[in-house]
Amino acid sequence: MARLYDGVTAHPHNVQASARAGALELSQDDGWSDSIDAALLKRLDGGKRELRLGRTDRPGWRLVLPADAAAELQPLLGREARYGHWIDRVGLVPALIAGAAITASVLAIGYLAPHWLAPHVPMSWERNVGRAIVGDFGDLRCRDPKGQRALEALVDRVAPGSRGGPNGMKVAALDVSVFNAAALPGGYIVVFKPAITETDPEALAGVLAHEVAHVRRRHVTEALIRELGIGALIRLFAGNVGANAEQIVSLSYTRDNEAQADSDAIAMLKRAHISPAPTAELFKRLSTETPQFSAEFLQSHPLTSKRARKFTAAVDPHARYEPALGRADADALFDICTKT
Amino acid sequence: MDAYRAAPVAHGERAVRFTGNWREYLPIAATNALLIVCTLGVYRFWASARQRRYLWSRTEFIDDSLEWTGTGKEMFLGFLIVIAVLAPFFLFIQLLFPALVARGKIDAAGGIMFLFYIALIYLGGFARFRALRYRLSRTWWHGIRGGSDDPGWNYGGEYLGRIALSAMSLFIVYPWAATRLWNSRWKAMSFGPLQFRANLTAEGLKLRWALVYFVPIAAMALGALVLFSILGLSDRQLGSGPMAGLGIIFVALILLFYVAIPLMTLNWYAKYYREAAAATSLGELEFGFDATTMQWLGLFLGNLALAIVTFGFGLTYWGYRNWAFMVRHLHVYGTIDVSDLTQSTTHAPREAEGFADAFDIGAI
Repeated sequence: MARLYDGVTAHPHNVQASARAGALELSQDDGWSDSIDAALLKRLDGGKRELRLGRTDRPGWRLVLPADAAAELQPLLGREARYGHWIDRVGLVPALIAGAAITASVLAIGYLAPHWLAPHVPMSWERNVGRAIVGDFGDLRCRDPKGQRALEALVDRVAPGSRGGPNGMKVAALDVSVFNAAALPGGYIVVFKPAITETDPEALAGVLAHEVAHVRRRHVTEALIRELGIGALIRLFAGNVGANAEQIVSLSYTRDNEAQADSDAIAMLKRAHISPAPTAELFKRLSTETPQFSAEFLQSHPLTSKRARKFTAAVDPHARYEPALGRADADALFDICTKT
Repeated sequence: MDAYRAAPVAHGERAVRFTGNWREYLPIAATNALLIVCTLGVYRFWASARQRRYLWSRTEFIDDSLEWTGTGKEMFLGFLIVIAVLAPFFLFIQLLFPALVARGKIDAAGGIMFLFYIALIYLGGFARFRALRYRLSRTWWHGIRGGSDDPGWNYGGEYLGRIALSAMSLFIVYPWAATRLWNSRWKAMSFGPLQFRANLTAEGLKLRWALVYFVPIAAMALGALVLFSILGLSDRQLGSGPMAGLGIIFVALILLFYVAIPLMTLNWYAKYYREAAAATSLGELEFGFDATTMQWLGLFLGNLALAIVTFGFGLTYWGYRNWAFMVRHLHVYGTIDVSDLTQSTTHAPREAEGFADAFDIGAI
């Protein structure tokens, strides 16, 4: 005995069901009968106690049988849908293996592709993106002309010629009370006020050299591609899995680039005869000081004692280091955000 | 003859029962988790379809189980469509906002952000409505499904208006907003030919909502009283003891505040859902819900503990536990005439829960 719902009303009908020649035969005591082609039948989840069938051509049509009827009707039923059509077709284990392989390659491409692509992005594109994002910084920018000249002089000291030409770097101080410095798309380097007023020019030179290295190595472009490309893609299907995967990738990526930028910065300081010791001191100080003070900087530049040690180790006891800026320039730089 | 009694047939027998068990669900939970990880999360749409198919089929309503017919594919496509609609919008805001800030146009940036949030609230309300409508349209019983003919655009507007009003009152009038929104949402829904009815009022909920406001403040005041008495003490007997005590009390005060708020909110929601279920009906069927604050707390703490002791695997059981909890506390009374319960004529939505998914709404 089986229960039939016709999908028209909720009223159940008692019917007898049997399999005959590739079709499901239904009949009632009053003489009513029906024959349904096996191709139209689909098996639904009825739990352990029941076998539940539906029809692909009639929504709501349901035949509920005792679970032991499954044996007799088996030839009609085909395979039960389990994990979803695309996985049922290949099987769970092959699907898992294929999925793991695809996931691994997506992550690998996501990790490597920005690195490969970045050098091939025309500088002019990046400049347009940078200009669209940055503009002229509006009121945030510190516009004291003497201070600006001193800041540019400092960049010229550590990276001679980097500001020339159509793709030259542009440096700006921003009146934002957070310790930070950053390289932005389009060769913009911004330094926030505390990075100027709470350090000496030598340490700032180290920080600037680091940002210059990011621009020269196209790390900024790389980050941009990562953010717009694979990052967005992964976050789209996120769930926590995606977010974690993205974090792992972007962390190791950042560290790689940071280490490279540090090495470049040390080389630049050496060429400019500026001691790396003040930069090392700054890193040491930032990593131990109150979190509020350095949180922003730490976020974009993970500071470890290892990085400070790297700069300390680069100090040459026999070298004759010179001040990064003359007295007048240093004073002008210090006041860059105080005058308008 | 065809009238089914939903009221307890025999003593102790309930009209709605959950018949699943965690061992039977384990293979689903485990393979879902594996597949989600191996597909970078893409499988989660199919995973939730499988989960619902199981949970619905293990939910007995009077004499037959429920059935879930939603598919992972339609949820995936729905999600893609919504993302395609929303992505340019988000991207535009993401580029426009820093560009305006960088040019010093703070007011314009603030205005854009304000409009952005307005749009988000509207879409959030719309998403809730559509999710409910979609779920009803994929829920079958006796071969009959639910649904709604209301596309939900107006509900989004009502949601925005009521939330904005209650925000302006610092959420003091929130119970009125929440109850009226419940009514609007459910009145638009139907099962078969029967329209849901809902007449929830804020009447019985005012006190609980007041507690959400006052208990954390009262707790802080009480703590402060203790704090000051210790301060007075430290004036007389100088030493390091009272200072250490001060630190502890300060931490305790903060804790008190942050524990009191969610507890009181839970206390409000427990009553809210009991009243909401009692105020909702379908044809001759009346509903009831009997979960207390402590039972809700037990559910949440249980979920948390399960996730911790299983190193995260327990997360895959949250949906199961939440559903089982809802079903075990849900009551249905009255009768339903199955001959009059004809097929729903509502338009079955195609886009699944894209919007709700995009805004991360919906527990199961």
